[in-house]
Amino acid sequence: MTWCSPPALRQAIVLRTAMLSLMAWSAFARPAFAERPAPDVAAGRAEYVRSCARCHGVEGAGDGIDAKRFYPRPRDFRLGIYKFRSTASGTAPTDEDLFRTVTHGLPGSNMPDWPHLDESIRWHLVEYLKSLAPIFQEAPAEPMAVAADPGKPHADLAKGRALYEKLGCAACHGPTGRANGSSAGGLVDDWGMPIRPANLAQGWNYRGGSDAESVMRRFLSGIDGAGMPSYAGTISPEDAWHLAYYVVSLQEPPRWNRIARATRVRGELPKAIDHPAWHQAERTDVRLRSVVTTAGEWAKAPTVTQVAFQVLYDEETLAIKLAWDDPTENTQGPADALAVVFKPAGLAGDVVTLQAWPHEGSSALDLWHWSAATKRAGETLSPNFDVITAGGQAAGIERSSAARYADGRWQVVLQRPLASPDLEGGAVLNPDELPTLAFAIWDGSHASERAVSPWIDVALRPLKPVQHAQE
Amino acid sequence: MNTQRVASIALMAIVTGIGCGGGRAQDAAARTEDAEQQAANVQLAETPETPVKAIRPAAASAATGGASLQGIVHWSGTAPTREKISMDADPVCQQQHAQAAYKEDVIVNNATLGNVLVYLKEGVSGSYSAPSTPVVLNQAGCMYKPHVAGIRVNQPLQIVNSDSTLHNINAKPTANRPFNVAQPVQGMKTDKTFTKPEVMVKFKCNVHPWMNAYLGVLEHPFFAVTGEDGSFTIAGVPDGTYVLEAWHEVYGAKTQNVTVSGGRVSPVEFTFSAQ
Repeated sequence: MTWCSPPALRQAIVLRTAMLSLMAWSAFARPAFAERPAPDVAAGRAEYVRSCARCHGVEGAGDGIDAKRFYPRPRDFRLGIYKFRSTASGTAPTDEDLFRTVTHGLPGSNMPDWPHLDESIRWHLVEYLKSLAPIFQEAPAEPMAVAADPGKPHADLAKGRALYEKLGCAACHGPTGRANGSSAGGLVDDWGMPIRPANLAQGWNYRGGSDAESVMRRFLSGIDGAGMPSYAGTISPEDAWHLAYYVVSLQEPPRWNRIARATRVRGELPKAIDHPAWHQAERTDVRLRSVVTTAGEWAKAPTVTQVAFQVLYDEETLAIKLAWDDPTENTQGPADALAVVFKPAGLAGDVVTLQAWPHEGSSALDLWHWSAATKRAGETLSPNFDVITAGGQAAGIERSSAARYADGRWQVVLQRPLASPDLEGGAVLNPDELPTLAFAIWDGSHASERAVSPWIDVALRPLKPVQHAQE
Repeated sequence: MNTQRVASIALMAIVTGIGCGGGRAQDAAARTEDAEQQAANVQLAETPETPVKAIRPAAASAATGGASLQGIVHWSGTAPTREKISMDADPVCQQQHAQAAYKEDVIVNNATLGNVLVYLKEGVSGSYSAPSTPVVLNQAGCMYKPHVAGIRVNQPLQIVNSDSTLHNINAKPTANRPFNVAQPVQGMKTDKTFTKPEVMVKFKCNVHPWMNAYLGVLEHPFFAVTGEDGSFTIAGVPDGTYVLEAWHEVYGAKTQNVTVSGGRVSPVEFTFSAQ
């Protein structure tokens, strides 16, 4: 290697990086798909009616039978306003942009991915969508100039952070990206529907993709129809990568465990949020969905979309620590609130979730609840959630709690006895079984909507494989 | 042709001036310097350190040709109270207003209505080339200056951020191409043009939801915006019969026919009310 002087070596590395980026970009621009078929709008239309019309409407007007239940709403394809583009604000998306959205869906929204459709069918769909809006003729795609990806090791996160501040990202996305900026609450989209900025800590919830390139394209192209403007011209294509990698660094990878594992504590069971014992406890993240109101529409854009929890226990007591992002701290009037719900014993195996609660014939729920209004926790049996939404009065048996709100995030620690001898009919947690629980969380700033999780099993003891009897 | 061009430049200055601070019905040429001064005053008064220079259109000659179409937009009924703007969401905005800021959508003074775009909707013949001087849409004190204005098809629009905070300019035309661009840094300028006539193009800022502005895109220079006294002047209108429209963002549009004959035209009145 002596023939290769260090500067030459560096050059070689730079050249190699550039070539790799170029190759990556080529792969991105022209995916390695099979030969694109000749345009067939009729075939696209047929598949559209089969797969897309339920949400997007038979004529593409975004008015399918499920449309009103969704946040965000399905696109009205006749308008030609597409959010996830690699093109200038106000111009059409590229065919590849459309193909990518059809193929990968829009994470965190109701738009699923469609990789199971033949590639040729997906291309026909692209042609059909293009036939619905004049923008594809009137303002054809203008792809944005982008720089070569420096790669994560070469990204300057400090510079990215400085850009995040300079460019005003925090106005909506908040100082650390938790969607709690001062302008976050008043956003509406071009159709007057309330919307929320992305919570940058939740990479899984980035509609347009959470990788650095997707993030970079979002702020260069903007998200047309939503509040997110194009930053083209305000940031150099090179700096855009530094900002993108910084945003990616704000993501907190979720742990979607199918079964949450609790840890048995030998010493004191922690009552405080910062107790070191929590470091030994496994964290499980659970996605929350807002319950659709009786009007069948979103009253407001959902704000609480994920909760993280950890469970510790000893011979007698169970402690749980929860953390969830809520952009506003509401401690008066309709206050922020939480309920840990134990699945009624008679419902074992039943899949009915808290979305549909209460339903006809539903049994009483054991609600282990906490309110930001009283900063107190309690536990009671109730057929519905009125005890929580009625104003945060501690109902039933009082339970110990600690809570803190900081930078758009609640952290709450609760304790209760495993056996609950003080609450008649209360859940009895047997460490040899898998207690099943779910979460309901209220953001006091729109208290009529509760965000609920599916049921999740908690393993208190180490799980052992089932021994099947040998024949 | 040259006269028309000069007239349109003068008019544009008026429109900008009126939109910024209100104006009176006067002859276009005589009004030009005032309008310039006013535009400068507004920008300098509101943002002392602004790097933005006020637009300075070339001085127009007195020869405008055509008639000076003057009029007033009346308000009938109780004057609505102007709504206070809460700028709590952004301290940078709040600090620029020692007194409370008010919305500029409904400006009623002495039974007249301001911020009404009045323009010849039908009947204009011939083509009028667009001035190269830009219309400036300034963001100062987290308000758009002007709030209502006219612009010509293909005339440059310069959007300026005079505030030391993030603005985004979300333009929502339907005939023209929409755009939504960020101006995070004080002093930033963005140039745009509209290629088709459209009354009106709405501008909004998602970061500061109280901010909005309206631009009427027209193929000819025959438009004006009523000042705080409800008056307007459209200069240099050639002989002919026209449909004149008065457009207001809250109260909608009203039209009437006007005839210019022998370079003369009667004063025009519109009346808006809350119903």
